[in-house]
Amino acid sequence: MRTVFDKLGLVRWLTDPLAIPFMQRALLATLLLAVAAGLLGTWVVLRRLAFFAHAAGTATFPGLVVAGPWGLAAPIAALGAGLGFAGLLARMTRRGTTSADAATGLLLTAALALGTILASDVYESGTAVDRLLFGTLLGLGDGDIALAAAAALAAVIATAALGRTWLATGFDPAGAPALGVRAARGDRLLLALLALTVVAVLPAVGALLVSTLLVVPAATARLLTGALAPLLAGAVALAAAEGLGGLLLAYHLDLPPGPAIAVIGGGVFALVALASSKRQTVS
Amino acid sequence: MEILRSGLLQRALLEVVILGATCGALGVWLLHLRHTYAAESLAHAMLPGLVIAALVGAPLLLGAAGGVLVAAALIALAARDTRVGPEIAVGVTVTTAFGLGAVLALAPDVPARLGELLFGDLLGTSTSDLVAACALGTCVGLALCAGHRSLTATVFDPVAAPSLGVRPGRVDLALLILLALAVVAAVQGLGNLLVLALIVAPAAAAIRLGRTVGAQITLAAGLGALAGLLGLVASAELDTAAGASVALAAITLWLIAALLAPGAPQATGGRRSLVETLVS
Amino acid sequence: MSAASAAAASGVQVQDLSASYGSAAIALREVTFTATGGQAVAVLGPNGGGKTTLFRALLGELEATTGSVTVHGTMAYVPQTERSRLDFPVSALDVALMGAYGRTPWFRRITAGDRAAARAALERVDLADRAGTRFGALSGGQRQRVLIARALVQDAHVLLLDEPFAGVDRTSEEAIMGILAGLRAEGRVLLIATHDVEQARGWDRVLCLAGAQIAYGPPAETLTNAVLEGTYGEEIVMLDCGHRAVAIQHHSH
Repeated sequence: MRTVFDKLGLVRWLTDPLAIPFMQRALLATLLLAVAAGLLGTWVVLRRLAFFAHAAGTATFPGLVVAGPWGLAAPIAALGAGLGFAGLLARMTRRGTTSADAATGLLLTAALALGTILASDVYESGTAVDRLLFGTLLGLGDGDIALAAAAALAAVIATAALGRTWLATGFDPAGAPALGVRAARGDRLLLALLALTVVAVLPAVGALLVSTLLVVPAATARLLTGALAPLLAGAVALAAAEGLGGLLLAYHLDLPPGPAIAVIGGGVFALVALASSKRQTVS
Repeated sequence: MEILRSGLLQRALLEVVILGATCGALGVWLLHLRHTYAAESLAHAMLPGLVIAALVGAPLLLGAAGGVLVAAALIALAARDTRVGPEIAVGVTVTTAFGLGAVLALAPDVPARLGELLFGDLLGTSTSDLVAACALGTCVGLALCAGHRSLTATVFDPVAAPSLGVRPGRVDLALLILLALAVVAAVQGLGNLLVLALIVAPAAAAIRLGRTVGAQITLAAGLGALAGLLGLVASAELDTAAGASVALAAITLWLIAALLAPGAPQATGGRRSLVETLVS
Repeated sequence: MSAASAAAASGVQVQDLSASYGSAAIALREVTFTATGGQAVAVLGPNGGGKTTLFRALLGELEATTGSVTVHGTMAYVPQTERSRLDFPVSALDVALMGAYGRTPWFRRITAGDRAAARAALERVDLADRAGTRFGALSGGQRQRVLIARALVQDAHVLLLDEPFAGVDRTSEEAIMGILAGLRAEGRVLLIATHDVEQARGWDRVLCLAGAQIAYGPPAETLTNAVLEGTYGEEIVMLDCGHRAVAIQHHSH
């Protein structure tokens, strides 16, 4: 009998939160974001853009801080800050006097320091800072869901239309133009789409943990397969599963969702890495 | 100046000047070896160590040291995985560790000190913190002097370095250990998120201004100390967050250097990133 | 630094050498040759033919899978200039001084004698007037000469030169040829990895590598059409009624 109750308890642990409206919205948002972040994340992993994605997410912090006081919609402000980051990065590295690595680091800390001062001393946002940095379950509005849907749609269309271009440039950046591939245009679109996706995942996982959805699931899928189609599908599926798990964990432990998803995603990655490396040595 | 009379501020000033000089000098090598991401990763991934120390009431320095050790081991382990490449593996590790730290810190029955750990508490510098910063700073400085030639050969041409009697792998490892020491020393004052500013900004400015490696290192140490001084004074005068003010001061100094010395386009021997390829 | 010291019994002996990178397939097989003091050996072969692998095995950076490598005298490696970091703030003199790193313990400063040796080496490659110039600001040929000066400061008896004429202008090429001839005359052993079959005819010995040793010997006897075809496969173009052959390389950048 006990096991039946245990099972019942587990089922209720899983289903009860989903009866609550704000959790339903969070779930919907997470699933949409899983599509966008899983697909884009695959390209982030294949093109080694992890530092860029993380820095773009962090760079939105000052934008998010001023959004409220300035009466801007948060995604607009975040997008503005993110695009500002990308523009400055391009400017700083164009002449070859600063390496992209150093420029990314400079802009990232500049954004954090600026955001901190704006949040703690100018607008005194107080506890809201944790929400901006680590995401929230409660605050997801219709606008956030619409943005997530748009990002998911854009990611699907772009992967279908540009997947081959991105694959060719990723495989051989110098040789791609010779294959008739418009590498530069494809790359610009990839970065722009990445910025859109970063902004879309911000409300759910926060400015500091954008990588939880954008890098971790795709990296985990990469451990399991080298072929593109299963990689894309696996990244989306893992992002959805880890997102859902993170939401439930966050609900029950009263945490922001970003760190919860991060811990689950990291755990899954570690398990897969260990299991698949064993398999490799056996075979 | 009025503000210098408070013992609190005097300690904070001394601390931030020592940290600025140490991180600045180290940063020159880290930038030349393109290790910015490693610096950021190590600082972020040590968060669980800091949080646990704060929770159990242990000295933060201890938590930082433990956190760095675990983070470095995990990062080194992850970076060996050839399937996803080091950058991605490091990204996954850092995200996970940072998330774990945040989970621990944000759990509701825990005192909320996360802000302090993330953004630093310079004004909370104790005399023992100062002693520790002095000791770690001296270690880093001496090691940089002793390893100057090995570092030079490694940055200049890692392929030919072994034929000159230098082992690039060891040099890299030693530099990352020094980075860990500097981060441990600096994290309490400047915070988990802002340490990177003092490592990257003064060094990036000095690399623009200095014509020899030695000049760059001296300059970076000076600029780092100056950034600490200016940032802390500004924070006291304007009543702004201390760590963030120091970070912004360092970045402002870099900006001034960039305007003073726009620099000539230079060919670089390293692998170019997508961003670099795009804009060129 | 003296010519006499270099001449004293320097040489390279390679016997049945095979080498590989980690667990990967064997990168180089069945290499057997002997070069004695005063000989310049051209190492010919396509990209991936094993030139770099041979150098790394000679330098001891790569464990031999089978066979043995014996080097009499000290060794120096002269890399291709585009491999080095051109944005790094070191002067020509700084780079030449790197040749003294190996014999200077970490707690010592570089001695005045080594500084003089570095200046003398720059003088010898005709770059004394550019000692203070940033390495990255020099031309490709000048950079190559600075790297040779570094090997001189190492006072190496055996010099491994990796494509010393790649990306080098005509004047520098002649200057480098002159320097190398001088080193040979001092009794040093030179191993010169190159793509240029015509130039290889000018050295004492030729070693043809294509995954394995194809041939070794004096150029006149060694550089036959059969050997060149064995070395370069289909990439060969015959000119001048079969007397001269030119290898067409597919460079990847």
